[in-house]
Amino acid sequence: MKIPHKHFVENIQSKPSINELSERFFQLGHEHEISDEIFNFELTPNRGDCISLDGLLRDLRLFYEIDINKDIYEPEIRTYSLSFNNNAKKVCSNISFLKLEIEDIPSNYKGDLKSYFIDLNLKKINFFTDISNFISYETGQPTHCYDFLKIKDPITLDFLSKKVEFETLLGSKICIDENELVFLDNNMEVINFAGIVGGKNTSCNKKTKHVLLECAYFEPEAILGRPIKYNITSDAAYKFERNTDKNNHDYVLRRFLNIVENHTKIINVELFSESKTHNSKKIFFDIEKIKSILGVNLDDIKCKEYLRKLGFIFKDNSVLVPSYRNDISNINDLSEEIARAIGYDNINTKNFKISIDTKGHNHNNENKLKKLLIDKGFYEVINNPFSSKKNKNSFVIDNPLDKNKNFLRTDLLDSLIDDLIYNENRQKDIIKLFEIADIYVKNSDLQKRVIGIIASGRIGKNYKEFNKKIDLEYLSNFLNYENLGKDVEIVEISREKINSKSKNKIFYLEIELDSSLKTKYADDYPVCFDINSKKYIQISDFPCSTRDLSFSIKKFSNCKILEKAILSFENDLLKEVFIFDYYKNDIAKEIKVGIRFIFQSKFNTIKDEDVNEVMDEIIKKALSIDSVTIPGLEI
Amino acid sequence: MPDSIDHSAPRLIEEKGSYHPINQVKDSIMDLLQSFGFEIISGPEIETEEYNFDMLNIKKSHPARQMHDTFYISNKTNVLRTHTSPVQIRGMLKRKPPLAFISGGKVYRKDDDATHLPMFHQVEGIYVDENVSFSNLKHLIFDIIQALFGSETKIRFRPSYFPFTEPSAEVDIMSKEGKWLEILGCGIVNPTVLENCNIDSNNFSGLAFGLGIERIAMLKYGVNDIRDFYKSNLDFLNQFK
Repeated sequence: MKIPHKHFVENIQSKPSINELSERFFQLGHEHEISDEIFNFELTPNRGDCISLDGLLRDLRLFYEIDINKDIYEPEIRTYSLSFNNNAKKVCSNISFLKLEIEDIPSNYKGDLKSYFIDLNLKKINFFTDISNFISYETGQPTHCYDFLKIKDPITLDFLSKKVEFETLLGSKICIDENELVFLDNNMEVINFAGIVGGKNTSCNKKTKHVLLECAYFEPEAILGRPIKYNITSDAAYKFERNTDKNNHDYVLRRFLNIVENHTKIINVELFSESKTHNSKKIFFDIEKIKSILGVNLDDIKCKEYLRKLGFIFKDNSVLVPSYRNDISNINDLSEEIARAIGYDNINTKNFKISIDTKGHNHNNENKLKKLLIDKGFYEVINNPFSSKKNKNSFVIDNPLDKNKNFLRTDLLDSLIDDLIYNENRQKDIIKLFEIADIYVKNSDLQKRVIGIIASGRIGKNYKEFNKKIDLEYLSNFLNYENLGKDVEIVEISREKINSKSKNKIFYLEIELDSSLKTKYADDYPVCFDINSKKYIQISDFPCSTRDLSFSIKKFSNCKILEKAILSFENDLLKEVFIFDYYKNDIAKEIKVGIRFIFQSKFNTIKDEDVNEVMDEIIKKALSIDSVTIPGLEI
Repeated sequence: MPDSIDHSAPRLIEEKGSYHPINQVKDSIMDLLQSFGFEIISGPEIETEEYNFDMLNIKKSHPARQMHDTFYISNKTNVLRTHTSPVQIRGMLKRKPPLAFISGGKVYRKDDDATHLPMFHQVEGIYVDENVSFSNLKHLIFDIIQALFGSETKIRFRPSYFPFTEPSAEVDIMSKEGKWLEILGCGIVNPTVLENCNIDSNNFSGLAFGLGIERIAMLKYGVNDIRDFYKSNLDFLNQFK
């Protein structure tokens, strides 16, 4: 909701600056951003009373002298004998209709109405709708204008008995479902989707001089969720969803008339009103309880003053809650009001000690298994549980984000295969992943906590393992050695349905992490991770380019010099260097070293000439070392 | 030195993998809270509406209960938990005060964009005892934030709204760039919630808080796009060894 700074200060004698007001609003809990001296508020959903200029001014009375009540139409209004059937009193207890006829439609706006359109750079629609929008902005109460000449009573408020197609005043056609709340005319045609949007057939236009103005209170449940369901943007619905004031209709209608009267002559005005008296909520004012909730010493008189400024009335030992504060119902709510007045940041901290005998959370064996996998080069991943795969035990999501993924996974295999393919497509040839997650199976009382382990490609980059591929033996060796206390069944996954160029075998296993899990692995899970020093460097999504070089070294002691020179070589394009082959031939007195260079640019797909330039530098550096040659290289 | 060692052989690279960065942050926070005296409890990700909403004073009319915000399961018989608070409800129903629980794990909301995901992680805590106050809550929050972000961190408390706490607050920290960043939500446990768990709210009061792990991980590590955590990209994960 946008409100210019100017509109606040016009009502505040001390004329606070924009920064001062901003601080006050944060103290009150009214989050906002400021742009071009206009506040843009994001209010909490319990504060429907603040979705208006007057509502926010009411809160600011904690700090400033503010008179909220504006000029209103004072004369007595004749009764309008409208034929109205309210068949939904449970959700609409208070409703008024104002029949109003004016002499002329003004060509220009004055006063607050004019400022509203200019300061917020709004587009005018027609005279009555413009005033209705302004009144909603100022008071927070939505009203709806019907062109009186297009509507015939009896008017009925009721829940639809069947689906109906309805054209909104914005021209869009929607199909309103059965049981939705609507206003119907004498022909039982829908004229208004109650509290949400009016109909085209009865809407006002620039020539409308005779209007029927509806002002109602709707229970939030009757409106909630409809704007999203029917894809309608409605300021009225936004306010009704967050609750409005049941008792302000007389003021709102008289304020409406005052604005009209300031612009043109009123020929006739009549009022139909159906309202139930709502007693104020009453809360026992227990200052000791408030002190105990906040943990601070409070001055009784000051606290009462804060609440009075916010519109609360003291009667005997109780507080009467103003009708617009639908969010207040108990002593904790009053404590929050007082805390807001003091300022949360001004409440002192008080030390305390939790001295409860707590049980430790025993994931010891699970943590050891995790540590074992990490030490073996596996990476932990986390996937969401949404799956396209249905089996008879799958839970179905009623409202999935993706209609093709409307089941909860019953194992971790598919998620891990997706992760594997994702990395294979990024030229990774060593993929070792694991995930620990709860999985859910229908007709089972408990969720299962499982670990899924997937592996494919080389065992490692080191020259001792580079040519060895992950196989059943590799996995079962280290897992069986751990004697996990349960059968470990490693399966080879067929590549038949997998969209990847890689031909490496894929192995998978899933183990339930229940109390029978054991591991001999000695290393503990780290007690505390170092989350302070790690800083992420944005990774590149561009493809890599790989070059291998094979070096011959005759003078054995220079092997270390070569290793140091190459591995410490730095260039922005050089992502990774490692030794993938090492062979020492004592008879031939020669060491052969194979080194892999992986290049990647952060900005574009790397070009051969860029790679060659860096490789030339590396080669030059290597060949400057005594007895180092690159067999087959022509310089 | 034994003769069998080849001193010219290149050093072998330590080819370790890594814990997921989100779990590193989650577990660090859980460890910290355990050191304050909180006990870790856990609960299911598929929850009833009763535990996920009703018991937490989230009324039927609350927007969070709408189909566009919550994942419903098996013809609306259950939900994917939208927060870890129902775990605390289960804990409070099992034990009498004084009690101090923390629960951490995955939660689900129907969002999917650059700043929101349908699945994310939370750590939530609750402490119920005699005379637990808002000033106690502030003390605890200062301890948590200073342990996570340093003792010089500037902290701001703002009034907010959560149906299960009253008063409620959101807490911001000042970034190096001088911008306030929202870091956690907290409050005094709403007496209705205590009563729902058969705890006499005249004798006991509680404090509660919840932290979004992804948000903290993004700040700690400097990750700008929340989705990066869940792509399982080895180049990404490799940076969190």
